[in-house]
Amino acid sequence: MDYFDLNTNLTDEDIALRDAARQFAEKEMRPVARQLDLLSADAAVAEDSPLWPFLKKAYSLGYHKILLPEYYGGLGSSALQTSLIFEELAWGSFGLALLTTVVCFPFYLICITNEEHLIEQFVVPFCECTDGSIRGCWGITEPGHGSDHVNMGEAFFSSPKLKGDVRAKLDGDEYVINGQKSAWVSGGTIATHTMLHVQLDPSKGFAGNGICILPLDLPGVSRGKPLEKIGQRDLNQGEIFFDDVRIPKEWMFVDPDFYVPMIDMILNAANLSMANWSVGLSRAAFDEAFTYAQERIQGLSPIIDHFTTKQRLFTMFTRVEAARAYVRAAMELNLNISPPHVEYSIAAKTLGTDWAFENANEAIQLLGGNGLTREYLPEKLFRDARAAMIEDGNNEMLRQHGGHVLKENYPRGPLDF
Amino acid sequence: MPVFTDRNVAIELFGDLWSKMVDETEFGKKVREENLSVQFICSDPDVTMYVDGDGPLFDDETQGKNPTVVMKMSSDTAHLYWLKKLNVPKALALRQIKAKGPVGKILQLMPLLRPGQALYPEYCRKYGIPTE
Ligand SMILES: Cc1cc2nc3c(=O)[nH]c(=O)nc-3n(C[C@H](O)[C@H](O)[C@H](O)COP(=O)(O)OP(=O)(O)OC[C@H]3O[C@@H](n4cnc5c(N)ncnc54)[C@H](O)[C@@H]3O)c2cc1C
Repeated sequence: MDYFDLNTNLTDEDIALRDAARQFAEKEMRPVARQLDLLSADAAVAEDSPLWPFLKKAYSLGYHKILLPEYYGGLGSSALQTSLIFEELAWGSFGLALLTTVVCFPFYLICITNEEHLIEQFVVPFCECTDGSIRGCWGITEPGHGSDHVNMGEAFFSSPKLKGDVRAKLDGDEYVINGQKSAWVSGGTIATHTMLHVQLDPSKGFAGNGICILPLDLPGVSRGKPLEKIGQRDLNQGEIFFDDVRIPKEWMFVDPDFYVPMIDMILNAANLSMANWSVGLSRAAFDEAFTYAQERIQGLSPIIDHFTTKQRLFTMFTRVEAARAYVRAAMELNLNISPPHVEYSIAAKTLGTDWAFENANEAIQLLGGNGLTREYLPEKLFRDARAAMIEDGNNEMLRQHGGHVLKENYPRGPLDF
Repeated sequence: MPVFTDRNVAIELFGDLWSKMVDETEFGKKVREENLSVQFICSDPDVTMYVDGDGPLFDDETQGKNPTVVMKMSSDTAHLYWLKKLNVPKALALRQIKAKGPVGKILQLMPLLRPGQALYPEYCRKYGIPTE
């Protein structure tokens, strides 16, 4: 369903990008997402899965490189355009929107290194890829450490007692990597490269971590089984194991010296993306409820004619509009300054995903019994939204970190440029 | 002690360097093609430079300009950047560089500045600025 945009200054280009994404979401993403949702986790990534033609199509249209600069062949879209596209894609499917973006994460981060050889070796081929054959993922969560990785403000973060599950040791000109990332690595079962968080200096706890790019076809890399889970079943996940994997030391592009502030920069991009996708999911839930309320007759008239239904739909509408306005404002700020004011991105993610869940929940309630069935979309939206409150940081842990950032920085002064 | 002890030397060196970059390297062609402009606000010594496809402007001349990207840093950090001795993500993360402007454009600008990085040591020698 179309919507009136509160921003009445969209350019023709903005509108064209949004409309193309909407068409892709409706014609390609929705049907594939539905199919993948019904498959087992194994079948969803098997050779004959509809995932592969979908990825090929998404790459051929450039949706895998929305965040990457034009100079290297990325789309180079503005903050607003990125918001517009992300919302539409997630309206189609939260899980597939995430997959088409997380594939760029290692390459996005390499772009800011300004290291020519890494860019030539990794970023340029990714941007040139039109068949979905180069796919990144973000390997941070470990079996023993989930929220621990985003609790940078807490004292335990730099305690030597905090032992990472993936360690890297320098051996001459190479790092040797051992350990395991958890089953939560999105796209982990099919990725060709990972942006890998490793412990380099255990005496500093996780403040002794670093980040490297690691092609997943290196000797010593193996994977676990695709994970079965309640929501975002169209987004595969799985463990990655490292057994004496060797990489050149230049591939370790973030070292402990600036690991902590770097996490905020990564969290910023990831949380803003999550926030935009949440708006798309919220809107999808509203659309479903609104349409159903016009069709379903109870009390001799469409339920939309009943007073309480009007109230309920209006609350859903308000969540979509308020979240969109706030998320875009946070995006506009934090994709235009470096380093970002990360608390605004965290607020966008936590608020956006909470409201997406509330809208999906209310959509089910508005559809009554039908809302619980697979015949109707809200059931999937509900499961997808539930996962989003844990994904990319449990919301309460993100809020804890946001509170820490406030404690350190509030009130921020004006931008001094 | 800062590397540039005399701000006029900094202005002369960078005036020379930017002009060469704009007139004779890929940088000039690209910023003209893509209508890009960049402002460096350096401190200690304080020098503000603005560059677009027409060449560099300094200090008061930069007033009223609306650059695509603004980079704020100490003159010493800028010196390390031009010498390719600065880890840019680290400097951004540690707030040694603050940047304003679309992240995509900032990322785009980095490779465009490389011809300047290649030329910089030669200009340092010319103006007596240490490179070690
Ligand atoms: C759909 C989905 C996609 C994901 N994608 C990726 C991915 O691409 N890459 C990746 O690496 N990871 C990914 N994750 C993992 C995700 O980041 C983690 O699940 C998340 O950080 C939480 O970690 P955990 O599951 O280990 O929970 P835990 O950290 O074990 O938390 C369990 C509970 O304890 C609470 N808790 C934890 N620590 C504290 C504390 N210090 N104080 C008080 N309470 C605490 C939490 O709030 C939570 O309620 C994904 C997760 C999901 C659900």
